[in-house]
Amino acid sequence: MAITPALDIGKRGLLAQEAALGVVGNNIANVNTPGYTRQVAEFAQDPSITLPGGALAGAGVHIADIRQIIDPLVTRRLQASLTTTGERDAVRDQLERLSGILNDLNQPSLSDNLAKFFDAADALARTPQGLTERQTLLGAAQAVAVELNRRSSDLAALQADLDTRIVDRAAAANDDLKRIAALDTAIVAHEASGSHANDLRDQRQEVLNDLAKAIGVNVLANPDGSLRVDAAGGGLTLVDKGVVVNQIATRADPGNPAALVGNSLHQLGLVNTQGTFLTVDAAFSTGELAGLLQVRDGSTVTASQHLDTLANTLITTVNTIQTDPSALDLDGNSTGAPAVPFFSGTTAGTIAVGITDPRKIAAALSAQAGDNQNALRLADLRQTIQGPLGTTFDGYLALETGRIGGDASLAADSASAAQLLTTQLTAQREGLSGVNLNEELTNLLRFQRAFQASARVISTGNAILDDLMRLL
Amino acid sequence: MAIDRVSDSQAFTLLNRRVASLQAAIRDLTDQIGSGQRFTRPEQDPLGAGQVVRYGGELSSLTGFTETTSFGREVLGVEDQALGDAYNIMVRAEEIATQQANGTLSAQDRLASREEVHGLLESLTSTGNTEFLGRRVFAGLAQDVPAPFADPNGAGYSAATAFVGSTQEFSVKIGSTSAERVRITTRGDQVFTTALSALQSLENTLATNGNAAGDLTALAQGRAEIANERTSVGARGAQLDERKTQVAGLTETVTAARSRARDADLVSTISALTQAQTALQAMLQAGSLTLQTSLANLLQF
Repeated sequence: MAITPALDIGKRGLLAQEAALGVVGNNIANVNTPGYTRQVAEFAQDPSITLPGGALAGAGVHIADIRQIIDPLVTRRLQASLTTTGERDAVRDQLERLSGILNDLNQPSLSDNLAKFFDAADALARTPQGLTERQTLLGAAQAVAVELNRRSSDLAALQADLDTRIVDRAAAANDDLKRIAALDTAIVAHEASGSHANDLRDQRQEVLNDLAKAIGVNVLANPDGSLRVDAAGGGLTLVDKGVVVNQIATRADPGNPAALVGNSLHQLGLVNTQGTFLTVDAAFSTGELAGLLQVRDGSTVTASQHLDTLANTLITTVNTIQTDPSALDLDGNSTGAPAVPFFSGTTAGTIAVGITDPRKIAAALSAQAGDNQNALRLADLRQTIQGPLGTTFDGYLALETGRIGGDASLAADSASAAQLLTTQLTAQREGLSGVNLNEELTNLLRFQRAFQASARVISTGNAILDDLMRLL
Repeated sequence: MAIDRVSDSQAFTLLNRRVASLQAAIRDLTDQIGSGQRFTRPEQDPLGAGQVVRYGGELSSLTGFTETTSFGREVLGVEDQALGDAYNIMVRAEEIATQQANGTLSAQDRLASREEVHGLLESLTSTGNTEFLGRRVFAGLAQDVPAPFADPNGAGYSAATAFVGSTQEFSVKIGSTSAERVRITTRGDQVFTTALSALQSLENTLATNGNAAGDLTALAQGRAEIANERTSVGARGAQLDERKTQVAGLTETVTAARSRARDADLVSTISALTQAQTALQAMLQAGSLTLQTSLANLLQF
């Protein structure tokens, strides 16, 4: 065997180890890059050469491929888990906001204000002619009305904010679709030469994961390296072979019955390449968008309806007593005909105290001085089971507190369960695809030693050549 | 799937997650100690939160009952005192009438007795006009109104029509239903008119030198009506006392129940806080040791 091939083998060894060192260096450099998949250099023997006499001799080494260490199954499961996590996190976060708006545990609260209102009614029943008691009752009623107004307004603001989030998140998901299409195009172009566009694939997977948080997707790999991304619900294709087939879109939905007073909501849908808006509700049945929709059109509306029921029952019952045909104010004037209602409005958002003069409160049912019969009826309301509520006012608030807290608690538990699965899958993915610095440093040493040995092959060949040269 | 390979990112993420979790627990425990409450948001304990709201409403109701029964008891106390005075007035009037009927009074004594009876009439009228916090006790607790009984010194005075006040009975609410009420007033016309008329009649008898024996029955009737009402007042007072005791017991029970549902157990909370702080320190120390152990530290580059 001649000396020159040995030098060539040494050279190829140097190049291969140098390339492997580069891969290790890249892994180390990307140790903190989100979504990075570690790579390994795959060594392969160079084709053998035939020696004189016919024997085959090794010709050295080359880097056959730089491969990503990835488990597609774990990647798919993680993607699906991210969809669930995105949905449940959204529900949990928004229900916590809802619970904060309707929280009756802190002071001042609606239950506290309502208790003060009935305390004032009790005091009026004890002193029906007392102007102080009458003024106190009006003040307490005002506090109840203001708190109901605040809650109603905050619920509407929450719904409006959720709608804005839906529009923003849809736009962000749409950007993801465009980025996936662009990356698909780049990957196909890059991999046409036979190599793997590892970094581009990592970037695409990160964008896919972000998209999966927003909306459930099914992903199929095309033979050319591009992807077909379908909406998990409805089955419509979103991206295929580098082209956005159906975009996520929002449009004003003035007929949405879930809209709270003053709000205009948006409808989610898909827009095809012809610009036609497609209503595909199933496409938005999972993911963060589904979670936001669920709270916007469900929990918030239910809470608002229940608040309105409470407010309306309060308005109706108090006004029924105040405007009883026999009811009389402090000056002996009827408050029934013409009616002098205590509260105005019909909902939590519109309730207001209808009278400003405390003398207009009807505490009496007769013209006798000091009659407290109507004030007693007002005080009785506190413990009376109200038909529309199915319980007392206090009982209803307790039920609502428990219901809203239960919903938020359940959402938190669901989110934790989903997060746990995501954490486990992320750990699996990281366990396989993440960078371990100790491992990389070991590889660094391995390839450094191999590089040094290859260099020694070259220096040995060189020494032999020198020896030969000295013979001349 | 067993995980036998740990990436550096995973190790840091795990440390961060555990530290964040422990810090959140410390925050919650500190909040519990600061507020004295096990939870401040419904989602932390939905069942407990509902109970706390319900107990709060119940306590508010009970406070209302307490205030109302106290008020009713005060009014009935004033009535009892007034009716006691009225009873004594009638007893004295009967003594005078008996003396006159026995014919033991001189003309001068009769004059003096007449003046005394007139004074008794004025006193009983004044008793009938008793006020409590500016409210007429025997006229439906009407506030800031003229005296319900006319002045016996007024022209054309007639005891039978002397009452011009409110005849509305005043009840207070002592329970959750509209049936749970206690009347705390006495209609002045019903309890004093007979007595006043009897006194006026006796005064006339003494003025006209008639025989007071005929007035004794009316006087006894007036006294009996006052005594009967006083008994009724006492019974209603006892009812209010009983209710007040009952409400105090209920208040104590509900307060204790609310405390159990809401209040933090400081001993266990502080213990949990200490444990969480220790766990955090251990986590940070273990993390720093683990993450510092790297091949890079052992190699000479």
